[in-house]
Amino acid sequence: MNTPVMSLQNVVVSFFSHGKRVEALRGISLDVASGECLALIGESGSGKTTALRAGLALLPLSGGRAALFGEDLRQVSKGRRVELRRRCGYIPQDPFGCLPPTVTALETVAEPALLQSSRNGKREVFEKSMALLAECGLGEKRIVESKVSTSLSGGQRQRVSIARALAADPALILADEPTSMQDASNRGKILEILLKRVNRGAAMVLTTHDLYLAAAAANLGIVLYHGHIVERGPTKALLAEGLHPYTRALAQALPRLGKKAARPPVAEKTEDFGPLACPFAPRCPERFERCRQAPPLVNLSPGRDAACWRS
Amino acid sequence: MIRVQSLSVDYRTNEGYVAALKGLSLDIPKKEVTAIVGESGSGKSTLLYSVLRLLPPGTKVKGSIIAEASDVLAMNYEKLNRFRWNRCALILQGAMSSFTPVLSIGNQIAETIIHHRGLSSREALLKTSELLERVGLPAAFVSRYPHELSGGQKQRAAIAMAISCDPDFLLADEPTTALDVITQAEITVLLAELVAEKGMGLCMVTHDLPLALSLCHNLAVMKEGEIVEAGRPEIILEKPRHPHTVELVESIRKLEEGSIAK
Amino acid sequence: MTLLRRWSIWALLAVTLLGTLGPGIFTGDPEAQVAAPFSRPAWTPGGGSPPLTAFLTTEKPAALVSWKWEPPPNVTISGFLRYAGQLERAEILWSTPGGKTFVLASSKDSDTLRVDIDGRDMSFKRSLGLSPFDDAAKVLFPEKGTYTIAARPTDGIKEARVTLDIPGKKWGLLGTDQRGRDVFHLFLLGIRVSLLVGITATLLAAVIGLGVGLSAGYAGGLFDALVMRVVDILLSIPTLPILMVLAGLWGKGLWQLVFILGIFSWMGTARTVRALTLSLRETCYVENLRSLGAPTFYILRRHLLPEAFPLLMANVALGVPAAILAEAGLSFLGLSDPRIISWGRMLQEAHGFGAFSTGAWWLILPPGIGIALICLIFLDIGRTLEEMSDPRLKKEMAR
Repeated sequence: MNTPVMSLQNVVVSFFSHGKRVEALRGISLDVASGECLALIGESGSGKTTALRAGLALLPLSGGRAALFGEDLRQVSKGRRVELRRRCGYIPQDPFGCLPPTVTALETVAEPALLQSSRNGKREVFEKSMALLAECGLGEKRIVESKVSTSLSGGQRQRVSIARALAADPALILADEPTSMQDASNRGKILEILLKRVNRGAAMVLTTHDLYLAAAAANLGIVLYHGHIVERGPTKALLAEGLHPYTRALAQALPRLGKKAARPPVAEKTEDFGPLACPFAPRCPERFERCRQAPPLVNLSPGRDAACWRS
Repeated sequence: MIRVQSLSVDYRTNEGYVAALKGLSLDIPKKEVTAIVGESGSGKSTLLYSVLRLLPPGTKVKGSIIAEASDVLAMNYEKLNRFRWNRCALILQGAMSSFTPVLSIGNQIAETIIHHRGLSSREALLKTSELLERVGLPAAFVSRYPHELSGGQKQRAAIAMAISCDPDFLLADEPTTALDVITQAEITVLLAELVAEKGMGLCMVTHDLPLALSLCHNLAVMKEGEIVEAGRPEIILEKPRHPHTVELVESIRKLEEGSIAK
Repeated sequence: MTLLRRWSIWALLAVTLLGTLGPGIFTGDPEAQVAAPFSRPAWTPGGGSPPLTAFLTTEKPAALVSWKWEPPPNVTISGFLRYAGQLERAEILWSTPGGKTFVLASSKDSDTLRVDIDGRDMSFKRSLGLSPFDDAAKVLFPEKGTYTIAARPTDGIKEARVTLDIPGKKWGLLGTDQRGRDVFHLFLLGIRVSLLVGITATLLAAVIGLGVGLSAGYAGGLFDALVMRVVDILLSIPTLPILMVLAGLWGKGLWQLVFILGIFSWMGTARTVRALTLSLRETCYVENLRSLGAPTFYILRRHLLPEAFPLLMANVALGVPAAILAEAGLSFLGLSDPRIISWGRMLQEAHGFGAFSTGAWWLILPPGIGIALICLIFLDIGRTLEEMSDPRLKKEMAR
């Protein structure tokens, strides 16, 4: 029985910020099953972080349903929610606020496991944490024993954050731009560490703005723009031949070895298309009159959906 | 051309002196884009700040930086002030730091022009509007405040401020790192156009090798305070020699070709 | 550590050592009179003499007193002369360098001459032929030179023990106060009180403030609002009048003072800690811990408390001067235990007993400067701790 490990159905998230209503997610639906990796692709403001947090019920939903391991998070008790969350490993986007600053790296990694049950022998937990840190390239004694806030660089903190999320052997990994602070040579290694868990049966949702990274990490990808899903399909296809103009623009805008800088295919942001229009219309190079009405996400071929009138 | 010769920079920290740059030499020619690629901690930002002598007090600096037949490190304060911004301008990492939040951006850019070029405020404001349009912002943004602009727009405004005095050289510290992918591409293209149009020498520092390769005419790879490889990008890409460069190119290739173990 | 490089921490160490070990160099009771009241410090130029004593003994019934100063404030003569046989008249004479002779004491038809004279006695003044308002000592010591005190007759003395005591007008490092007590001794004792009161009161305030701030900041909602209103009310009460009232109600003891000061100074710390807690509560890792089901107390104890600690230490160091000044103020107003020697008390006595009008600067400046110096020390330490705990200043060169 393949209940998806995490499932969002028509989730809408909106809140007030600076006196204005902000719609972070507008009816998003996605599923991840165990052993699968899903990539959420989008730039900042697209709603990818919000989608992850909605999946963990870390913020209130204005509509739709979010379920973990088949259980609707809004309907379970608080204790059950905590239990469900404990089976997930969340790697937040910003490694600077997300690690307790006054404890050492080792204690940070061990903390979730220590909190979970006193059944686990403390020593085993610490040994496991040491092994994890070593796997992430932070095995040096100096690093392990240093307080997070004073001696670690952004990239190192991110890796501590990853180790912390993986310490409890989560069944679901939610990674929000896990390689953003890493040097190019480390990115591949981080992905390998994460994918190893997926191969062992964990489910993973990874967010990124880099289509190449998405293609390397996941089979399936969803492209988000301003809280809407604009395209869904195999990551390799999204990269090579996107059906939505935004996907194509993203693919072209990414610097690639051996490719010269070229103007990305987006238009000047001139006309206001109104609130009901396609979200990408103001910048879409292929916009036309029909775009005043937001196109629905339709299935264009097996496993591929896109939301564009032109496709 | 700016010629950096045997530059060594040691920062003063609580634990003594830490070497950031170890005797490196580099040429930054005009009309071309020179990219410096390095990982965090390699000293690339230090290199940029040294050219304009913006290092914190107490820093030990050795070597010379020759620009127009005089050594920047030995210039007196007056000459240095004329060098800064008039001859060589800087675009900081994270454009939020370039502007003070209490004045409109038009005001701030005009202030730079008035200070360095001595134009009247009306002329300066006119020039500011032109500059904003050149970088792709509507002229109406002259009266906008920094918090009313998005990240990409602020970066464009920072570029406008940098080119406001028509400098011969432009130094950019990770100009696109904090931006979205598409905005990043747009800014990169803008910088390339400005270089071609005004004949400036752009020295861009980044950790993103493909980005650097897409734009530059000269490439230098830095590691731990030293330049490990330098030359034309096509050659370096085809035949990287230093093991660090090799590793860098390889890992990016692996990612791009999707050959991570799945 | 940056703290060790500041002058203040070494100064504090020195002051503490001085306060604990210093009084040990004095052997006597601090309350005892050592010299004439309002004596100047010995190292000041001019002024009166150091204390001087001259003896008449059985072997030497005459003594010379070499006098090089202004007339002393007072003179006391005590003791006795016993003769072998009854004498019609026995006297103790005093001769000035100028040749004048005074009869200090006399006996009639007795073999013993007992003398117990204080220069201020009216009868003594009358016996010298002076009016009650004259200064006997001034008359007895009109000029600089050598004076003689002698018994008459000098032979036939069986036993003689007479002491001529001139309390000095100059004494020690810091002179004497209105009761003749050594000011330097009092000064050193005052260090203890200032430090003790300052630090204890502030620590008490810190503990209360920390508890209130953490709980209000973390709990939020109604509890937070209520607590903050209480803080506001307490802050709006003017401290010194309340301290005066409470000191009047609860007595003037030292511990009452510490308690009162502590109760009225925790509000500032509470506010700062609450602000910090509020901001930390929203951070990613606290949210993460809460979602993992970590109990509130765990989060407070393990994470928020260590983060609040540097700020707390800074607040403590900055609060000590306030406590010291409050104690000094209360003492100055006479609301502290008069048996306890503190700098504020010294200032109060200086003011009350006319040090200002006699120009006895050694009674005013030392405690005043002492208070100012300790406050400066703690302010500097507090400032350093504040800088150290500020994350913005921490790692600028991390790149």
